[in-house]
Amino acid sequence: MPAKILSVDDSKTIRMIVKRTFAPYEATVLEAGNGEEGLATAAAEKPDLIILDITMPVMDGVTMLGKLKEDPELKGIPVIMLTAESGRENVTFIAKLGVRDYLVKPFKDEQLIEKVSRVVTLTPKAVAA
Amino acid sequence: MTNTTTNFHTAQHIGEIVPNVFDTMLGLRAAIATASLETLPERVSGAIGIAGETVTGTAYIHLSEPLAREITHALLQCTAGQDAGDSDVNDVGGELSNMIGCGLKSRLNDADIVCAVSSPAAIRGAFAVESPPGVHAEKFHFACLGARFAVEVHQQLN
Repeated sequence: MPAKILSVDDSKTIRMIVKRTFAPYEATVLEAGNGEEGLATAAAEKPDLIILDITMPVMDGVTMLGKLKEDPELKGIPVIMLTAESGRENVTFIAKLGVRDYLVKPFKDEQLIEKVSRVVTLTPKAVAA
Repeated sequence: MTNTTTNFHTAQHIGEIVPNVFDTMLGLRAAIATASLETLPERVSGAIGIAGETVTGTAYIHLSEPLAREITHALLQCTAGQDAGDSDVNDVGGELSNMIGCGLKSRLNDADIVCAVSSPAAIRGAFAVESPPGVHAEKFHFACLGARFAVEVHQQLN
């Protein structure tokens, strides 16, 4: 069964990069533009992993993460935080949130694949003969 | 900027952050350049606000429309004949300013200058950014894909 990955980011660019990165794998990438949409999609689709931006309009990533953890049906979904802030203070803050991992922007595709493959099984798509 | 009240060197940080963003996300070389960027009739700029108790400001990236489009194609890995829409180009401009602004914010924080950043925005058109009195404005020029672009930082230390 393909891995189901939910990308929650207000930047369409980042969502497209995430989608492109996992295109060679048996994976379905779902998209949400803010935490509110992300929660709704998570509840409806029960993804295997959420890649979550921090700074977003409507509902930010930290608030969405808190609501995920409060929901018995969603609290087990692993979360990888995506942040553009690499400062010591921010990294310490993220580490305390109870996320599976985090990735600092800018990032290379390989870094994202490496982090995600620690959480879900990524199977390369079969090459057509 | 080397400010008399801090040892924070904006020029040095921008000179490291911008090439790193371009290399990591785009696989492109952005080299520090000295030539000035003329006002372009078609320009895409990304902007992000920085605010804290002791610092306020804005970081911009100014790209010509053709360069912004080329960068968008590189970032989204568009295939030959596949053209990015204007909204994609705008979003990439905003995202680049986000990565540069957040990189600057992280380094300010590491220098004990606590601040936050706004959501990024994209602006299109020919314009010049004027600073109010007391705001220190610096422009840094880069060369990429045979074209020039600029990063501008307006900063006020309170």
